[in-house]
Amino acid sequence: MQVEFFGVPRERAGVSELELQADTLGQMLNALAAKVPSLGPFIGGEGRDLRLHSSFIASLNGDRFVSDPGTPLGQNDRVLILSADAGG
Amino acid sequence: MPFGYHGRYLRIDVSRGVGEYVPLDEMVLRQYLGGSGLGVRLLLDEGAPGFDPLSPEAPIVFAFSPLVGSPLTTSAKFAVVSKSPLTERINDSLASSGFAVAGKRCGCDALMIVGRAPELSVVIIDDGDVRLESAVEHRGATCRETESALRSRLGANFRIASIGPAGENLVRYATVSHDGRHAGRGGSGAVLGSKDIKAIALRGTQTTEWAHPRELTELSRSLSKRSFGPATAKYRELGTATNLLTFNRFGALPTRNFQSGSFEEAASLSPEQLTATRSKTRDSCVACTIGCEHIYSLGDGGVRVEYESLFALGSLCGVGDADAVLRASKRCDELGLDTISAGGTIAFAMECVERGWLDEAWLRFGSGDVLLRAIELIGSREGIGNLLAEGSRRAAYAIGHGSIAIAPQVKGLEIPGYEPRALQTMALGFAVGARGADHNRSGAYEVDFSDKVDRRHVTLDAVRHAIETEDKAALMDSLIMCKFLRGVFTDFYAESAEMLRDVTGWDVSADELRETARRIVSARRQFNLLAGWTPAEDTLPERFLNTPLPNDPAASLNRERLDDLVAEYHRQRGHSGAHDAE
Repeated sequence: MQVEFFGVPRERAGVSELELQADTLGQMLNALAAKVPSLGPFIGGEGRDLRLHSSFIASLNGDRFVSDPGTPLGQNDRVLILSADAGG
Repeated sequence: MPFGYHGRYLRIDVSRGVGEYVPLDEMVLRQYLGGSGLGVRLLLDEGAPGFDPLSPEAPIVFAFSPLVGSPLTTSAKFAVVSKSPLTERINDSLASSGFAVAGKRCGCDALMIVGRAPELSVVIIDDGDVRLESAVEHRGATCRETESALRSRLGANFRIASIGPAGENLVRYATVSHDGRHAGRGGSGAVLGSKDIKAIALRGTQTTEWAHPRELTELSRSLSKRSFGPATAKYRELGTATNLLTFNRFGALPTRNFQSGSFEEAASLSPEQLTATRSKTRDSCVACTIGCEHIYSLGDGGVRVEYESLFALGSLCGVGDADAVLRASKRCDELGLDTISAGGTIAFAMECVERGWLDEAWLRFGSGDVLLRAIELIGSREGIGNLLAEGSRRAAYAIGHGSIAIAPQVKGLEIPGYEPRALQTMALGFAVGARGADHNRSGAYEVDFSDKVDRRHVTLDAVRHAIETEDKAALMDSLIMCKFLRGVFTDFYAESAEMLRDVTGWDVSADELRETARRIVSARRQFNLLAGWTPAEDTLPERFLNTPLPNDPAASLNRERLDDLVAEYHRQRGHSGAHDAE
């Protein structure tokens, strides 16, 4: 699966997207924290209950926003991580 | 009189060049606070809904707030409130900085201007003493030129709000500018222009006391500290321009007059790309710790870059040339033009040309030179610019061919950079907005960018969320606090009540402020009812109701669903008919 970054998450990650292996959103966040340490402070919780910091949100394929760590992910899914505040 | 207020406003009749202080009842201040709330209350008392907004008798209010002058971050703001010459409905637009602080130090909680000066003039308020001086020599000057010249003439400690050539020429979406920032939407610059007022220059020495200064200082420190945190990082580090790529990815970036929700050249306009090729500095409003302004180098100066300007002058007009878009944005600033309405009206005309409805062959999507030429013509009202200066709704009625269906406006106000079909809670916010299509009086896009709704298929459950954002915006615009702070509050109403208690000494609660917010929303509706509002105005242009987004067919909205959402909004608001406002 692919993870795409926008705005501040992209600044922190230093890349616009990367590939990870994960079956759930929680696993993806765990892998993300390991692979991109600069995002670590924005990923909280423990074990299977990892969540994004409230200033970030995640969208599954641009279709719906997801926060439940148990959200299943497929191999072809794309998770978009962006700033929670869409204002402008 | 409570702390934090002077308990009076300064009413200036520029026909006679005189001003008088008018007392404000404490109950009115407690019920409407300041900013947008106080402004609309004063307009109602003045009978403003019934006036032609460009007539001498039409009042325009510059409203401050109890928090202005306090150490609370982002509190140096003022609201410019009048009947809009663009929409003929309520208009309140906000700007920040020293004008608010200096204005309040003139010993008043608001300024009201009525009448028409005998010649182009500057209103000078020197610690409450009012006089008019000729501004004829400044005719045609840009906003910045006017401010600079008047400071040289009057003294560096004067703070100046001015209009550019667009305001003088009564462009219906002309702005009022101060220190490079604009009270941008709805044409308040044209209202000042109709009064032959080029600028307001003021300074003062009259301060207000705070009820609980020690607690207020502690609260201010806490708020400032939080304003440096992750909730505002987006604004601080990248600015609002970062929305561009995000919205493009979500198919929500209005492109070529809303014919698409994605723009193939979006990357060239993104802050990531702009930063790679230009130097950038940051700035902030007075008394602000966020510092959201990102100023990019451009020729011999710089230009403030905001998402709304990038979208309106970029993707909406099909222009991917970053230099041209930045120049267009800067030129709008100089002329005193609202970039959203300018871009929206130009993009509308471009599509009319494309469809063969308007005989201006040069006016095509995609060219930076064309965009700049159109802006010049609008500012001077020359050629086709005279029609485009009227805004897209009036232009559509003049052009005919049923073009009103593609005019990107609600109640006459051009739609900001949120594609309604892709962000349907925002679509509702646009439809019912008292000011028209408006992302500042309704923050419903926040709901679309959350797991509370399916943004492309919203249900009636979205309505209460939209109402919540509208209420919250009404309170923020009346206190006044910057909306970019909203993410730092744990309990917005409770913390707002704490601020207000420390400033005014009132024993105000969160519940009281929720009621205050609803009262202010209701007052704005009352203004519109008195100005002739009808239920048919609470809708979107036909384009959004009968054509799915080409780039995302799932993003589809129809009239029946929008009508259901609007009806549910009015039901939850307690609106039962045409005369139901308080």
